[in-house]
Amino acid sequence: MDYKGYEVIIGLEVHAELNTKTKIYCSCKNEFGLEVNSQCCPVCMGMPGTLPTLNGKVVEYAVKMGYALGCTINPVCKQDRKNYFYPDLPKAYQISQYDIPLCEHGHLDILVDGEERRIGITRIHIEEDAGKLIHDDSFSGTLVDFNRCGVPLIEIVSEPDLRSSKEAKVYLDTIRSILIYLGISDGKMQEGSIRCDINVSVHKPGEPFGTRVEMKNVNTFSGAVRAIDYEAARQIEVLEAGGTISQETRRWDDAKGENVLLRSKEDAQDYRYFPEPDLSTIVLEESELAAIKATIPELPNKKLVRYMKDFGLPEEDAHLLVDQQEKAAFFEELTALNKVKPKNASNWILGDISRLTNETGKTIAELGISAPALADLIALTEGNKISSSVAKSVFEEMLKTGKTAGEIVKEKGLEQVSDTDALQAIVDQVVAANQKSIDDYRGGKTNALGFLVGQCMKVSKGKGNPAIMREMLLKILEG
Amino acid sequence: MDMDLKRLAKLSRLKFSPEEEVKYQAEMERIVAMVEQLPDLDASGPLIDPDNPMQLREDVSEHHFTRDELLKNAPEVQAGCIVVPKMVD
Amino acid sequence: MELYRMTATELSEMIAHKKISSVELTRSVLDRIASRDKEIGAYLTVDEEGALAQAAKVDAKLAAGESLSPLAGIPLGIKDNICTRGIRTTCASKMLGNFVPPYNATVIEKLQAADYVCLGKLNMDEFAMGSSTETSYFQKTRNPHDLERVPGGSSGGSAAAVAAGEAIVTLGSDTGGSIRQPASYCGVVGLKPTYGSVSRYGLVAFASSLDQIGPMARSVSDTALLYSIICGQDPHDVTTARRSYSDFVAGMQPSVKGLKIGIPQEYFGEGVAAEVRESVMNVAREYEKMGAELVEISLPSTSYALAAYYIIASAEASSNLARFDGVKYGFRAAEYKNLEELYENTRSEGFGAEVKRRIMLGTYVLSSGYYDAYYKKAKFTQLMIQDRFRQAFQSCDVILTPTAPDTAFKLGENINDQIKMYMNDILTVTVNIAGLPAISIPCGRDSKNLPIGCQLIGSKFSEQTLFNTAAAYENLVGGFDLDQAIC
Repeated sequence: MDYKGYEVIIGLEVHAELNTKTKIYCSCKNEFGLEVNSQCCPVCMGMPGTLPTLNGKVVEYAVKMGYALGCTINPVCKQDRKNYFYPDLPKAYQISQYDIPLCEHGHLDILVDGEERRIGITRIHIEEDAGKLIHDDSFSGTLVDFNRCGVPLIEIVSEPDLRSSKEAKVYLDTIRSILIYLGISDGKMQEGSIRCDINVSVHKPGEPFGTRVEMKNVNTFSGAVRAIDYEAARQIEVLEAGGTISQETRRWDDAKGENVLLRSKEDAQDYRYFPEPDLSTIVLEESELAAIKATIPELPNKKLVRYMKDFGLPEEDAHLLVDQQEKAAFFEELTALNKVKPKNASNWILGDISRLTNETGKTIAELGISAPALADLIALTEGNKISSSVAKSVFEEMLKTGKTAGEIVKEKGLEQVSDTDALQAIVDQVVAANQKSIDDYRGGKTNALGFLVGQCMKVSKGKGNPAIMREMLLKILEG
Repeated sequence: MDMDLKRLAKLSRLKFSPEEEVKYQAEMERIVAMVEQLPDLDASGPLIDPDNPMQLREDVSEHHFTRDELLKNAPEVQAGCIVVPKMVD
Repeated sequence: MELYRMTATELSEMIAHKKISSVELTRSVLDRIASRDKEIGAYLTVDEEGALAQAAKVDAKLAAGESLSPLAGIPLGIKDNICTRGIRTTCASKMLGNFVPPYNATVIEKLQAADYVCLGKLNMDEFAMGSSTETSYFQKTRNPHDLERVPGGSSGGSAAAVAAGEAIVTLGSDTGGSIRQPASYCGVVGLKPTYGSVSRYGLVAFASSLDQIGPMARSVSDTALLYSIICGQDPHDVTTARRSYSDFVAGMQPSVKGLKIGIPQEYFGEGVAAEVRESVMNVAREYEKMGAELVEISLPSTSYALAAYYIIASAEASSNLARFDGVKYGFRAAEYKNLEELYENTRSEGFGAEVKRRIMLGTYVLSSGYYDAYYKKAKFTQLMIQDRFRQAFQSCDVILTPTAPDTAFKLGENINDQIKMYMNDILTVTVNIAGLPAISIPCGRDSKNLPIGCQLIGSKFSEQTLFNTAAAYENLVGGFDLDQAIC
């Protein structure tokens, strides 16, 4: 994206739904996609006389995210009411946190174009989600479904440290991946489990920051990229035309690819925050916090860098492994055996293993192949005991029979032939039958060599050592 | 005292006729004058009571209410939902 | 004696020994309501059928030899801001005129477990905002001692019903004096419990940090009996204290020997009627004769407390009452063109004038630019007041004050003067601000023959001391005379 010499300043407020069993302030199930108004009770419907009770898991999950993002945890904090009228908010106030959030002063390291960038995290607080409005022309009015009322949310507020839509996208992907790693959110975009508000301003380098505009209703990460680029371009156009940017809130319409004014600064809502009198103080003991901290696994952004640095994996491969926790764990189990090269381990996981999990819908564990068993197979290829094409069929056999690679190779006599006399005979046979390829090679078409090696492998039924046969072929061709 | 009755009414989703406005303005001003009699004390610092820790709820679901029970008091219901005037999305 | 005139303590014994049936008793009280309530106007809803069915159930249990709670079979009236499943709960507001809760308040669940008999729901000031029960949307309630006068408020229906024999005991709620002031006006006993000792779950909130449900009765032991049943920690209300409670009836020791009774001069000032002052000082002298020691103490200015109270209570109310918007339950205006009009018309037509004033005041003190000067400062004033009470209780065990500055006033007398109406609370709001328990007991009559009440304030969770102290005076005067009201 070309920002025409302007610097773009972006801050994000990410709302993530937590996957606790129950809602934040009542014991209703926290489940998506059920029949309208079926997961409700007097509390989340805001009936007169009802009172909230805070779900302990919500606090635990939010603290987890706080530790994951290097935050300071406020062991003594409270909840506040944010007052506004809207049909999806049954109490006409949202229970949230105002001046003392559960977590603050953190940071997130993201990898952009191979460089690590540190993005400041202002705060993470807990709050309740609102219901859903259904706009459908078949009804005379707008319908309200309260199932989502009281679904627990964490709001993660970043510092204005992001400088492009691309960085914002990486930031969002990384946040999502961490939520999933921690097991605290499903991260399902299509179900609205992660949403964000975006703050954008632009300015010429060296000049002070511009006026910031807030954008609401961004429901996908790709939408966030479009929304940022649209808003940056809009602001730049205004400034280039000699205009000024006013502090306002705009609403992103992803279908139209544009945003419209929602309210200006003058219409800013007065939320009349005050401490929630129906709840008392959240007090977390040091031991509780230590116990939560101890559960934090190595996070995907850190794994990514480590896989690249320690194992020499290319960024794309590292990403693919890290993206799914089970793949990363299997990769680490494989490499920990110290039997095979990390790159080969990675290739197997991203190749045949991924293909199988995709085809069957099974997890790696359900495929029924252990890391040591796979390591033995890979080691056979690395030790030139079997060729890679044989390895694939051995792998299939392992899955079918549960036998070890060694057993299968031995039983079926698949061990790679490295005996030069036997191989020379094969090579000679192939050379005799493929004069055209030999002429091609000599005429400069060097990829004919690959074809010839392939032919040798075919004749040897995959058992011939391709490297030795390649050498033999070369000798003949160059000779 | 600078009480903007119109703004407060808007925030409270109440509306007053011009006559009512005059009456409420006068009444509110007297009431505000009364509640201004607070002692002169330091009111900085957060409003939080660390000596009042809260017991948190266990994450176990309980469900007792049918949709019909919960919507029984609603002024207007369609397709299992509460209805409000048509809103632009 | 007519059954409806007797106390729960007496009736409980008679029911347990099968001298009377609960149906007989319930019938007696229902008949009394039928004959008396047209004049008094204490009830908004009478559930005759339900009450008799429940009474019959109790009788059957007793016949089957079950041993039941001392409250079993006793007919109660419930203030109409406490949610009763299947029984209309209106808060005396047009806004909730047709609201039938799908759930029971925790106190109702406790009463049901104790096999109480629910007579119906009692009138009150709209959303408990008021001191005369005159802000009820539905009807006026009259003081059984003088039908031209108010019963006090906001629990005016609860007080009048008990005084007139239209219930044996009742539940009220107290945010700034709403149990004690009507108890005082109607010559009955009313307890505002320690904040956090009775669950608020199912009490339609006025001011969450100040509201408490409490008992009203014609004797101290009935008050203690009902309190013993409704108090206790509730998982649905995290503001209830984590502690256990003893049986307050069994623990009753009506003696004040060696008790230090604090007398705060600030509560006997100019604003208090001379006859009221004299009556309460007379109680002090009687306590002294019974072996108590009177101690002069000083409490913070009552005007500070009143200011802090109206700020905090209105702030919370403005937020608590925002949910009444015509969307999910209750009243919805007939005319509206869009959502904003639905909100504004519903709320403007559904709320009465006093409720609107409190909402506006609450919105004002929380709004941007005013929060620090009003709401926050009021909260710090609250801390100061709490601290001053802690100090006071280092030199005394209970504090004795008048409950209200004067006796019951006439219907319509103060309704157009908010400040005068608010001054009714000046001696009671401090207790709510400090979260303390206080009991109001009758202590004589003024020259208009209207009941005067005195207030005993204790430290947190000292309800037993309050019952003991109150009962000592009750025994001395031979019980509280209600003949005039109950005849």
